[in-house]
Amino acid sequence: MPPAAETSSGLRPRYSRAVWVSFLFIAIAAACLPFADLSISTLDPWTEMERMLWGVLTPDFLAVSNLGTAILQTVAFALVGVALAAVSGFVMAQFFHLRLVRLLCAVARAIHEIFWALIFLQMFGLSPLTGVLAIAIPYAGICAKVYAETLEEAPPAALKVLPAGVSTLSTFFFVRLPDAWVHIKNYTLYRFECGLRSSAVLGFVGLPTLGYYLETAFSEGNYSEAAALLMIFYVLIATLRVWAKPRLLGLYLVVAPFLLSGSSQIRLDNVLRFLGEDIVPAPLRDANLLDAGTWSGLADWLGMLLADQALPGIVATVLLTQIALVATAFLSLAFFPLISEKFFGRFGRTLGHIFLVVLRSTPEFILVYIFLQLWGPSMLPAVVALALHNGAIIGHLLGRYSDEIRLRPDSPVGINRYAFEIVPRMYGQFLAFLFYRWEVIMRETAILGVLGIATLGFYIDSAIADIRLDRAMLLIFITALLNIGIDSLSRLIRDRLRLSTRVESCRG
Amino acid sequence: MLLKLVKQDLGYDRGPVLRGVSLGIEAGDRIALVGESGAGKSTLLAAIQARLRDRAALVPQNPGLVASLSVFHNVYMGRLNRHPSWYNLLNLAWPRQRETAAIRPLVARLGLQDKLFERAGELSGGQQQRVGVCRALHQGGELVLGDEPVSAVDSHQARTVLDALHEQFGTVVLAMHDVELALRYATRIVGLKDGVIALDRRNTGLKVSDLDFLYRDRDAPRS
Amino acid sequence: MGKLIGRRFFIALAAGLLATSVAVADTFVFTAIPDQDEARLKERFGKVATYLSEALGVETRYVPVKSYAAAVTAFRNDQVQLAWFGGLSGVRARLLVEGSEAIAQGIEDPNFETYFIAHVSTGLKPSQDFPKEIAGMTFTFGSKGSTSGRLMPEYHIRQQFGKSPDEVFSKVGFSGNHSKTVALVQSGAYQVGATNFKVWKRELAEGKIDPDKLSVIWKTPGYPDYQWTIRGDVDQRWGEGFKEKVRQALLDMDAPDLLASFPRKGFIPATNADFQPILDTAREIKLID
Repeated sequence: MPPAAETSSGLRPRYSRAVWVSFLFIAIAAACLPFADLSISTLDPWTEMERMLWGVLTPDFLAVSNLGTAILQTVAFALVGVALAAVSGFVMAQFFHLRLVRLLCAVARAIHEIFWALIFLQMFGLSPLTGVLAIAIPYAGICAKVYAETLEEAPPAALKVLPAGVSTLSTFFFVRLPDAWVHIKNYTLYRFECGLRSSAVLGFVGLPTLGYYLETAFSEGNYSEAAALLMIFYVLIATLRVWAKPRLLGLYLVVAPFLLSGSSQIRLDNVLRFLGEDIVPAPLRDANLLDAGTWSGLADWLGMLLADQALPGIVATVLLTQIALVATAFLSLAFFPLISEKFFGRFGRTLGHIFLVVLRSTPEFILVYIFLQLWGPSMLPAVVALALHNGAIIGHLLGRYSDEIRLRPDSPVGINRYAFEIVPRMYGQFLAFLFYRWEVIMRETAILGVLGIATLGFYIDSAIADIRLDRAMLLIFITALLNIGIDSLSRLIRDRLRLSTRVESCRG
Repeated sequence: MLLKLVKQDLGYDRGPVLRGVSLGIEAGDRIALVGESGAGKSTLLAAIQARLRDRAALVPQNPGLVASLSVFHNVYMGRLNRHPSWYNLLNLAWPRQRETAAIRPLVARLGLQDKLFERAGELSGGQQQRVGVCRALHQGGELVLGDEPVSAVDSHQARTVLDALHEQFGTVVLAMHDVELALRYATRIVGLKDGVIALDRRNTGLKVSDLDFLYRDRDAPRS
Repeated sequence: MGKLIGRRFFIALAAGLLATSVAVADTFVFTAIPDQDEARLKERFGKVATYLSEALGVETRYVPVKSYAAAVTAFRNDQVQLAWFGGLSGVRARLLVEGSEAIAQGIEDPNFETYFIAHVSTGLKPSQDFPKEIAGMTFTFGSKGSTSGRLMPEYHIRQQFGKSPDEVFSKVGFSGNHSKTVALVQSGAYQVGATNFKVWKRELAEGKIDPDKLSVIWKTPGYPDYQWTIRGDVDQRWGEGFKEKVRQALLDMDAPDLLASFPRKGFIPATNADFQPILDTAREIKLID
């Protein structure tokens, strides 16, 4: 990162604000390192890794008896969930000027789909509704925001020439929507890709999607089977643009709801019990609200939860997030040349693309799961997996961006080109991508607790294991607040540094 | 009288661009606003439009098209206020015979007949400008306000466009940078200079050289 | 035109959303806590489902779940009416569902044991007394909701050290199930672990355990564990005496391959009171309020 060339204002080299912010974040991550447990606790990770690699080399497509079902269910849940999210997000986008709607959307997207699934499991059990809503609700929050921002950019000149007295409805469909439609469509398709990942991951909590079989295969050490499942998933995502044409999607959508499986009984009393009893803090349940003892009991309960669970959970979540963020930054700077015309020929770039597609397509959750198997439980697998996945996403965007940079014919090559020509020009963009991912990394970090890393998700998972849903809900709420906080902080920094990007695929 | 401004300061948030404007527009006026760029023609037009919004069709400099909609739809938008919303939406999805039949001749007159169902965003600048004019023609009404409506078309098409506008509308107010064309079509010339109306005369016997004083830094007023 | 496609997309989508399928069938459904490898669970309970369908004359189906909590929740939400629970999950389920009852348990279950196992590198040897040397080592439980993998070992650890496991060990993990615990200690991921003695014995017999790598270092005193628990309202749905029929069918289970898959020698009657010690222990270490 070279000093900014502001020759007029100084005789000594100076760093730009963006670079100072980078240093600050690196310093924070470095300060977090001593407190993070980054050990490899397996005595012999190599044997297991050998077995895994062997599995990758010998994928067993026949072993997965339910392969077809797994794929079909994964796609069906994603499709119905994202469709529902798109429609409701679209409706909410129309009311996005209302503070209440913005708040609801912020909360909806601050809670990870796995947490939503854990909540709905309590109400609906393993019914298809659980999976559909777990995807639809957070996605609706994200879609509403992005759609609203897109619609905001309607051509003002076209609005001006409309004759007086045109109905709001006609104005909307003739002027506001048409130009935004392409972006909305592209974004929704991108969301669908994310939906496939989410759908796959929901298998880990029991829905009949890919993750279900993947978890089984991994935990039983059937790596050939796991490899087959993952490969099919990559192919599914890589060929998305081929099979997910808008026309076909309509057709799939008609069929998809009938494919969703699970027990289909939903009972109202379960829902009411959850809302009316389960999530009421234990000291208040069936208690006399006029009794001072009830309230001091509640205070004790809150104090215990905050001090023993929320606080250590938050500390671990923030530690891990900050380390993973900086690791992501370094990896994305290392990854982007792999697919950039400025650095590699066609063959090299193809390999680079395959590498990045695999890392991008594997949900973080699954990557962490794999590394946990290899290295045992510590923050190390989480940092590595989060950095690889997010580094691949940002690296991909940066690589594409770098192709658009025009270099003079006699510009340097190799490392000099990288350091003097390309990175300085992309640095703002790079930081923008990174800050957009910040909140995503944190949301993902919190959920990793479900896999045994001591972030907030660990305490939420424990509360649910103990069927203490009041505790779980409070902790989920705290997690959401933390995410919203990081999101605002990220926006503040982006505004201060005047970083913006229109690349939608980086968000959410 | 359609509009009467008396000693008005006109402009945007950053202060007035035009000072002490007094201007009356009578039904039947065919006014050309002339003057250097930056003299305040657009400001004056915007002020008129703000006051006559309900009765005026507008041809702004940026044609104000919706890029992803077809020419047909962009022209149809001139009459969005005349139909119920459901009918508008129906036309958005399936253009009705009746509407295409009404719009086709307008578009044909301005030489866009083979572009009816092309996306507006894919047309050239001059074609887009003509689509903007078509929309104003389709909208109709008592008067049309145009900001350089022929700036991007060639001189032959410019005449077609101006003919069409003058036939369709009883009252015409156009900002023009081509003084010759202005003199040919307008019955009244309003000249702007240094933030004031420097000239407001019936167009009887006016010559190009009479307007030279409006253009300080140039030898001759040219397009 | 993109516009048209988009509109059709929305119509199709709306149609799709309206058509949510609802199938209602009065199938008798049961589940089991996922305490070991899923392939094994499916094999075992698939057989049980077939057996119960015949014995009861009612279509009976097994649904697998991914966690102990999910098993309890499914039972509580009436998505399953019968469950093969551990001691702790059974106590929890019966607290949550009024009228539910423990009806049968394995012959071995009233006297269940947890084995503390250690990797050979720890140098720990089998002993009669609680191995206090494990303090400071890394330790893995099974599932967070397991009796033999969590409740009982945690109870004994707290008894011995007067501290929570977090404070006793340098690292505490939850492997998820008993097979996993064995695998993690065998691989050295954790130095010490606590596992279900039945799973240990079976895996040893199947050769999945390498005695050169890990061994049992301590056995807990016996306690009541697994049992079949049924909801109280089954008689209303499947007719008077249905609960007794289920109990009888479970007690009558004698096909060797069925029993071997559990593995239990046979089943005997159980009552809710049999599990009072588990409830007391859970309350003592605050796993249940």
